Amino acid sequence: MKFLTTSALALCIAAPALAGTDKAAVVETYANIAQAGYEDSLSTAKALKDAVAALIAAPSEDTLAGAREAWLAARNPYQQTEVFRFGNPIVDEWEGKVNAWPLDEGLIDYVDESYGGASDENPFAASNVIANPTLELAGQEVDATLITPELIADTLNEADGIETNVARGYHAIEFLLWGQDLNGTEPGAGERPYTDYVVGDECTGGNCDRRAAYLTSVTQLLVSDLEEMAANWAEDGAAREEVSANADAGIVAMLTGMGSLSYGEQAGERMRLGLMLNDPEEEHDCFSDNTHNSHFYDGKGIQNVYLGSYTRVDGSTVEGPSLSDLVSETSPELDAEMKGKLDATMTALGAIKTAAEEEGFAYDQMLEAGNEKGEALIMGGVNGLIDQTRTIERIVTTLELDNLEFEGSDSLDNPNAVFQ
Amino acid sequence: MKKSLTFCAALLCAPLAAPLQAGVPEALSAHILPGFAGFAQAAETLAGAAQADCTAGSLQDAWMHAFDQWNAVADIHIGPSETGALPVAFWPDSRGFTPKTLQRMISGEEEIGLDPVAYGDVSIAARGLYPLEFMLYDPEFAGYEKGSYSCTLVQTMTRDLARQAAALDAGWEGQFANVLRTAGQEGNATYMGEDEAVRALYTQILTGLEFTADTRLGRPLGTFERPRPTRAEAWRSGRSLRNVLLDSKGAYDMAAALADWELPKSKEALDRLFELAERVEDPSFQTVDDPSERLHVEILQQQVRALSDALELEIGLRLGIQPGFNSGDGD
Repeated sequence: MKFLTTSALALCIAAPALAGTDKAAVVETYANIAQAGYEDSLSTAKALKDAVAALIAAPSEDTLAGAREAWLAARNPYQQTEVFRFGNPIVDEWEGKVNAWPLDEGLIDYVDESYGGASDENPFAASNVIANPTLELAGQEVDATLITPELIADTLNEADGIETNVARGYHAIEFLLWGQDLNGTEPGAGERPYTDYVVGDECTGGNCDRRAAYLTSVTQLLVSDLEEMAANWAEDGAAREEVSANADAGIVAMLTGMGSLSYGEQAGERMRLGLMLNDPEEEHDCFSDNTHNSHFYDGKGIQNVYLGSYTRVDGSTVEGPSLSDLVSETSPELDAEMKGKLDATMTALGAIKTAAEEEGFAYDQMLEAGNEKGEALIMGGVNGLIDQTRTIERIVTTLELDNLEFEGSDSLDNPNAVFQ
Repeated sequence: MKKSLTFCAALLCAPLAAPLQAGVPEALSAHILPGFAGFAQAAETLAGAAQADCTAGSLQDAWMHAFDQWNAVADIHIGPSETGALPVAFWPDSRGFTPKTLQRMISGEEEIGLDPVAYGDVSIAARGLYPLEFMLYDPEFAGYEKGSYSCTLVQTMTRDLARQAAALDAGWEGQFANVLRTAGQEGNATYMGEDEAVRALYTQILTGLEFTADTRLGRPLGTFERPRPTRAEAWRSGRSLRNVLLDSKGAYDMAAALADWELPKSKEALDRLFELAERVEDPSFQTVDDPSERLHVEILQQQVRALSDALELEIGLRLGIQPGFNSGDGD
């Protein structure tokens, strides 16, 4: 341990002289990738909005399929931006508006009997706003006669401070396009019929006009939320400025995002927990059965940040000086280790994607209790993510940036504060 | 920049002249390994008791004792505990999976509930200490009689828990302890240096305390306008406060074993935590909607954070290390 401390001291003093790759340029690449990722998320969300408008105007098998395809296309660029969440407070505070999960979908629309009703944790788990123009939420009478973006954003979302009251974002839209996946751990996604949007006698599921209003409003909200975040990363945008204010802190933010998404969020919350609960609702994109892509592009986003390269939805590439360049200057071995582990994770996540897309082995089937093949596939991804986190920590130490903890630690700024 | 500058400045002030040793072997031998051995023994006792008499009233003491033993190592999430801790202690259960799964199994008298070996494939919502708490303390579940499905289910669950505890004990004792001890040696792919092993244990200590402050105490506190008493951990058995204290003590004990120097400020903070706990009137935090009781629990939460800060100072700052990523980094 003595070695660690003294070498850290030496580097603290010598660090400015060592740098060859410009840290500020590395952070700029990062911000450029974020900007491009949110712009792509925005353009594909606008395409989704158009597809939803087409569905509402003329509900049919085709227009519903078109809206679903547009949703799937919109997910891929967005998932690659998840790596910007941790380490960038502006993104983290906003993220719940677009990608909150899991949700008690019974708040929004009809659900199957097996869903159950209100729960200990959430008395509004089955409030069904679409069927109820007036309802009571947390002791307040709510007028939901008109379903508007404001009603969804200000009243319904996180009603009564309960996180699973997710009324907006990708997963609310996903539910309205696919409906509940009632196949359990058997094959198949949600099977909402297009007639849920037909106004008049053919309407199924009741209140088709209100359902259409909800879907239109919630898609509009997604577009405006993404406009906000794309602007935050544009030139002079708040998130870009914050992460660029200091190059060292910017590098720490990059590594924090990579490590926190890899370990606590993706390996832990999203993959391993779902597997251990054997619950098909514990898959991230549970209505559409798109979880294999959602995990794959999360992992891809982590790799993008390290390599300083992002392939846009139009096929063009955004790239520049990278973390990889920076690390290889100090330690080529460590850079090779990081690249190898990111590759290994992508191979493991790719195997899940291939199984789902080419072998018809969907993610929810992998979650089935006692399904060894599914468990091996998912744990392959989990183990890769955990393993790469160790190397990310190693990079933090090697670059002498051992100050990963952003929040809640006053003691290092002001040691005396603890004993006052 | 403010933070990294401070970090360098702090290092300059650290007592560099003294050789700093941190005892990974000591943390293992004095805290972690006896902790898992103790839990394994207590879980075995519980399973044996359930075999003799499955009824709720006769098992509560043994369950309590097993939970006490678990507290010492509950917040360790590396090695065998990386995946092995969750099936022992799946909490918080924000979507109510535990009662839902138990109800389903009991009403359908599902066969898997009768088979302790196959039970390892059951959802973690129905395995480990928390679903057993429902079976032993919740009026909806606890009234079962000898010979009933629930009776056998409890025998199965306790046997499964004992198997898990034994596997954790063996995994630590037989394998992972050595991975930590041989950090930095050739062939150790997990920890490239002793500093990485120290950091891994240090991260467990701080992460556990953060979880206690933010979740074990933060969940029932909710907001002033909307306290959430039924989100307390293990409130049905009335051991919410006990968990806060024993988990915090577990973190301190591991830290004390890891450091081969005195931790006076941290010890003081832990002692104070136990003193402050005496003011809390309901050990299950069910009266946090009462403003004075709420204040007692909030003070407790501040004190857990003070303990964490003291450990950061007395260990982290002294060694010049920061905690690494942890399993609670997600949302």
